[in-house]
Amino acid sequence: MSEMPHLLLVDDERSIREPLAQYLTKQGFRVTQAGDAEGARARMAAYAIDLVVLDIMMPGEDGLSLCRHIRETSDTPVILLTARSEETDRIVGLEMGADDYVVKPFSPRELSARIKVILRRSSSGGTRQTAPDSGSFAFAGWVLKTGERALVDRDGVSVPLSTGEYNLLHALVTRPRAVLTRDQLLDLTQGREAAAFDRAIDNQVSRLRKKIETDPKNPALIKTVWGGGYTLAAEVTRL
Amino acid sequence: MRRYFPKSLTGQIALLVGIALFVAQAINFGLLLNERRGARFAQVIAPAVTRIVDAADQMNNQRLRDEDDRREARRPMQRVTVSPTNPIDPALPRATRVEQDIRAGLADANMQFGQVVAVIREVDFNQPFFKNMNPARAERIRRMGAELNVAVELPGKGWLMLRAGWPRSERTLIWQLLAQTLILYAVVLLPVLWAGRRIARPLRNLALATQRFHPGGNADPVEERGPADVRAVIAAYNALSLRVNAMLDEKDRMLGAIGHDLRTPLMALRVRIESVEDDEDRNRMADTIQEMSSTLDDILSLARLGRPSEPLTEVDVSALVDAVVEDFRDLDKDVTFEEAPRLTMRLRPSLMRRAVRNLIENAVKYGGGAEVFLKNEGERVAIQVCDRGPGIPEGKLDQVFDPFTRLEESRNRDTGGVGLGLALARAIVREAGGEITLANREGGGLAAKITLPR
Repeated sequence: MSEMPHLLLVDDERSIREPLAQYLTKQGFRVTQAGDAEGARARMAAYAIDLVVLDIMMPGEDGLSLCRHIRETSDTPVILLTARSEETDRIVGLEMGADDYVVKPFSPRELSARIKVILRRSSSGGTRQTAPDSGSFAFAGWVLKTGERALVDRDGVSVPLSTGEYNLLHALVTRPRAVLTRDQLLDLTQGREAAAFDRAIDNQVSRLRKKIETDPKNPALIKTVWGGGYTLAAEVTRL
Repeated sequence: MRRYFPKSLTGQIALLVGIALFVAQAINFGLLLNERRGARFAQVIAPAVTRIVDAADQMNNQRLRDEDDRREARRPMQRVTVSPTNPIDPALPRATRVEQDIRAGLADANMQFGQVVAVIREVDFNQPFFKNMNPARAERIRRMGAELNVAVELPGKGWLMLRAGWPRSERTLIWQLLAQTLILYAVVLLPVLWAGRRIARPLRNLALATQRFHPGGNADPVEERGPADVRAVIAAYNALSLRVNAMLDEKDRMLGAIGHDLRTPLMALRVRIESVEDDEDRNRMADTIQEMSSTLDDILSLARLGRPSEPLTEVDVSALVDAVVEDFRDLDKDVTFEEAPRLTMRLRPSLMRRAVRNLIENAVKYGGGAEVFLKNEGERVAIQVCDRGPGIPEGKLDQVFDPFTRLEESRNRDTGGVGLGLALARAIVREAGGEITLANREGGGLAAKITLPR
């Protein structure tokens, strides 16, 4: 990534696509536009695209189908543009391997920030799995479903989590057995909806323990590491 | 009385037919009795009258006593005796109708007579003349069952008394009629009940299907059964439910189109304001766009609630409320929730989260904070959101649930929203089979309560 990252922006609405492309160009990206799935495929074949920003709702072949195609043929990260009412589409999209999503009307700054995070991750990580953030994670009898943002116990009962708790658990589950310091956790959990997460990590951890540990006073899953930090002491299986 | 009146179609038809049959049989019975009386007059009373008139004539001619003995041997039940006083025990009940008939008969024969006494009594088989009677004849009398005693006063000459066999036919008649009626009931009522069920059952299925009708819940059409009229009704219902679902589909498509068409320009606007230099200006614009967008979302959710896309899931309600509360606390809002034990229910989690969130949002907006309680009341679960805000005037407690209603006097535009929060919350809770109630608290403030059936 020595030069400008090359983005492919796929949206049928010209009134959104063009100013957004303009904005992203100003942010230091090289932006190629496509108005439909067919055009997107052609441009992906023609250029080395680093990341695709994809609108779900498009006439003709929709974004979900294109997302599946991209995931089948390449490792290029995908960010979905969704509407709040398209929640189910969003879940399907994430399960299909999209890396992230933003909800319309999103702030272009936020989109730009997300793009940078994902690009940084895919360039530094190298051994990037198809979708690091998405899918379901099973650990110690629990299943964390990223699409619905729900934690399900072994009886199939869904245990709703607050945004903060979800973010924290997500950070732990995607890095099992790694020791994460409070600062790291703060960084990781503030990636999304920064405003919603503002309180001490310790507090969140103790709340989370109450929900998932058999004995919260004597935690077996989320362990405190001497010297400051937490680790998830469980096997995590991707579903 | 009304309590015993059958409510079902079959029951009412059966009752009606039963009553009609009963009345018809009663009329029959009356007519038959009347005819029997006529026959009896011809068989018993008319000969009796003739004999009395004969006897009176013979008494006048002084011949009666000579023939007495022979006659007595031949016709023991119809002999006429003479006595100075009334020979009939006055304690016996008198058969007034028979007396009338006899009087009329005697008057027709131009006879002079005083009192007439007639009684009908059981035959006393211990009387001597039965002993030397022909057994076949005795049996016939026994079968008739009773005897008629008539005493007629001849002014100045004493009383004439006559005994005759009296057919006790009413009893057999009643049994006959009862049997007849029962047979009729069986023959008529059974088919009526069968026909009634044939109509009632498809109608009942139809009523059930109508009650269970859930827009968009692609239920199978009701089976067309029963008579043609009922089939027509069922067919009409099936067509109607198809039309309703088609209309709802159409509505969903329209809402989707409206949503898309409004969201797109909003999004375009949102992208374009990034070029606004002034930070404060740009942030305000972004807030306005955000607000318009969430109002649009609320309107669309409210309109779509009839056919929720989120599936029912087993959820720990305690954790659900806790998660919503926690989100508010993350935003530094003063919201408290006393942790409750795990409580699993089957509901649509993100919709229910939204309902609870809307209530807490109101409490935070108008009351500065909220206390949230979760109570397991056995059959029901109550989620209560209490604040110490200004409350709502009693008369307007219901009104605030109506979409786009805001209590303007105490609330200004800065508080945001267009008043869909409570409407949406109520729609969500009702869809889950529960109810939301609002009440002013003692000491000020508002208590909103979601009650859900378990």
